[in-house]
Amino acid sequence: MPASNTAPPITVALIGNPNTGKSTLFSALCGVRQRVGNFPGVTVEKKVGQTSFHDRAFSIVDLPGSYSLAPRSPDEMVAVDVLLGRQDAVDAPDVVLCIVDASNLERNLYLVSQVLELGRPTVLALNMVDVAKEKGITLDLEALADRLEIPVVAVQANKRIGLTELKAALAAAVNRKSSPLPSPFPEAFQREVELLVESGVRPRYLAERLLLDTSGYLAAAEIPGVGRDTHSAVTEARERLSNAGVPIPAVEAMCRYQWVGEVTRGIFQREPARERGLTDRIDRVLTHRWLGSLFFAFVMVVMFQSVFYVAEPASALIDGMNEYASNLVMQWLAPGALRSLLISGVIEGVGGVLVFLPQIFVLFFFIAILEDCGYMARAAYLMDRLMSRVGLSGKSFIPLLSSFACAIPGIMAARVIENPKDRLVTILIAPLMSCSARLPVYTLLIGAFIPDRRYLGVIGLKGLTMFAMYAIGIVAATVVALVLRRTIVKGAAPPFVMELPSYKLPGLDIVVHRVLERGWSFVRRAGTLIFAVTIVVWAAGYYPRNPANIDPSLLAAQTRLEAELDKLNEAAPEVDEQRRERMVELADVQGRIAGQYLRFSVLGRMGQLIEPAVKPLGWDWRIGCAAIASLPAREVVIATLGVIYNLGEEESESSETLAQTLKKAKWEESGQLVFNTPVALSIMVFFALCAQCASTLAVMRRETNSWKWPAFTFVYMTVLAYLGAMVTYQVGMLFVAS
Amino acid sequence: MSDLIPLHFLSRGEVAEIDQLVGGAEDVHRLEELGLRSGVMIEMLQPGTPCIVSLAGHRLCFRQNDTVGILVRAGVAR
Repeated sequence: MPASNTAPPITVALIGNPNTGKSTLFSALCGVRQRVGNFPGVTVEKKVGQTSFHDRAFSIVDLPGSYSLAPRSPDEMVAVDVLLGRQDAVDAPDVVLCIVDASNLERNLYLVSQVLELGRPTVLALNMVDVAKEKGITLDLEALADRLEIPVVAVQANKRIGLTELKAALAAAVNRKSSPLPSPFPEAFQREVELLVESGVRPRYLAERLLLDTSGYLAAAEIPGVGRDTHSAVTEARERLSNAGVPIPAVEAMCRYQWVGEVTRGIFQREPARERGLTDRIDRVLTHRWLGSLFFAFVMVVMFQSVFYVAEPASALIDGMNEYASNLVMQWLAPGALRSLLISGVIEGVGGVLVFLPQIFVLFFFIAILEDCGYMARAAYLMDRLMSRVGLSGKSFIPLLSSFACAIPGIMAARVIENPKDRLVTILIAPLMSCSARLPVYTLLIGAFIPDRRYLGVIGLKGLTMFAMYAIGIVAATVVALVLRRTIVKGAAPPFVMELPSYKLPGLDIVVHRVLERGWSFVRRAGTLIFAVTIVVWAAGYYPRNPANIDPSLLAAQTRLEAELDKLNEAAPEVDEQRRERMVELADVQGRIAGQYLRFSVLGRMGQLIEPAVKPLGWDWRIGCAAIASLPAREVVIATLGVIYNLGEEESESSETLAQTLKKAKWEESGQLVFNTPVALSIMVFFALCAQCASTLAVMRRETNSWKWPAFTFVYMTVLAYLGAMVTYQVGMLFVAS
Repeated sequence: MSDLIPLHFLSRGEVAEIDQLVGGAEDVHRLEELGLRSGVMIEMLQPGTPCIVSLAGHRLCFRQNDTVGILVRAGVAR
């Protein structure tokens, strides 16, 4: 809020159907002055933006898009809570701004009738009047405002037309007296609502919803003032209504559409469509059974290819920066704990994770564009045919696709799925999609250990391996969904209905904003959680640094070699044969000392304890440690591998890349190389299938409202990962041996 | 008066009037909120499973299942 303002900002709640241009209007009003957070207790995204008009500040809360103000999901519950002033985090709105699509007025007014029943000052933004005109729709704006008894402002949010008038209307509406719309329901229904209100259920709208909600969502939600007595009262009321010929919940649609019919009678006309619009013509191709599927495959290939395309140059660039930073630290700091922490811990750890920022940007960029231009809904339509075979619907496609970037927004996106069983299965399999945090593991190991072969001239083995990792997740998800749908989450495939919005050019500001938002949350994770885990792992691998554990002959050799080198340095400044020999010898001794320190560290002892368990996967204890340390967040593994393998190295070589370090790592007993292709594949398969993400499990807990499902997911994915990795390694070794 | 047929019997470009939605009250309520209700005219844009219909110039895709279906009155002149 600008400092010049003294009056408190006007709180505006923005609500509307999906695909009415709500996000566009929000961006047009607030620009970059918006903050994204969560409503407390739920993972519903809370977007609040600031704008001003004639020195009066506005604080605009963007509510989730919804067709109806009937809470049947957390998203819709938040919208109702905010509008009723029951959300602690947001002040009760001074004004409700309802946006409707002028070319789809009848359906949009359904939601408006619900909003008007709340009795708050309301302003109607009539969006896309230009599109409506092109479609041959005529509408008398003034007559509509008269009938609704609220200000109606025509806007074109994408062209920023009508915004000043809209703000003026909002400012003026604050002090307007407003009374709730007379109930559109029959008298018998109103009487029952009145009875509920008298028994303590307030406000009236909530009583109405309790009566209408046969889905059981509201009954399960803990609402103050609603107890067991209320529920039995509701059941009795429904029975009385049913006997009186008032069907619940069908009466709502009947009455509201009747109201809509009365409001629009004579002032809203639609000419029969003269010709196919552009969207319909594009859809002839893009939703065509074969052509559409071909195009869809093409889009997916381009998307994932682009992600991998930026991977290499970006890693090279950021690796270079890490190396530069390491060298700087080495120049400034003497060897010791702080230098080890900065180089092995911070730079290798956090820096190693930031390498993947460009790929995450690219993936989110594509998803944001596909969503904003309207193609995502077509993709969901095309995918429904496949998804319905495993007991899901096309609606699960968008959450699952988002999960390729990150399972957290993916699981949250599952909220658009109304069917609870469908939604649950989608949430449970979402973490199997290879998210961007797995990319680091794939990129590192494929780069280092998969041979650079080509088939038919163009298909590279490295690319194929990457594809295989994604495919493993998808195949596993399919099987898990099928099994779940036949066992613990039984039920027929739900009906599927979804709006296909008109195509439009993606709004640059919306796309950029979404990409930056997601990218920033990744950087924040790298800066906090990953940073913390990195330091813990470093400390566990560094302490207790007790020289008593080190072979005394090694320490003696180090002292002797250092003294000899000092003497040689004094004698002659140039490096001769003799000195080079000493230096190589010293490096070897230092490496062994570092290795012994690591072995006797907290981490080393733990690692040796678990080595028998990970040996069948082809892993040494260090990989095992890295995998365990990355249980809270899988991207940590790069950092952890860097820290563990670097701690076991002499520091002078810590500027080499992680891939080079891994290639040289040896088993401590036999001296054989730890990593070969089957080991690398085994690690990748493990990471593809394992639930190593505390944030995902936490979001799952919030979305399913129970610890049962995250616990289930963790167990089934870990078992799957262990078995998958073991089979991969054992089968892989057969090929290596032959 | 023409006969009632399930929505997915319509062929591409055919226009019909929704007569009734059959199925569970909750599912039917959802469809109605989305604008699929008796009395409105719809046009089949893309037959199949799921199909795409146009409803007052807006497109919805719909797949019926064992519990929900839409019955339409076809043969209405466009």
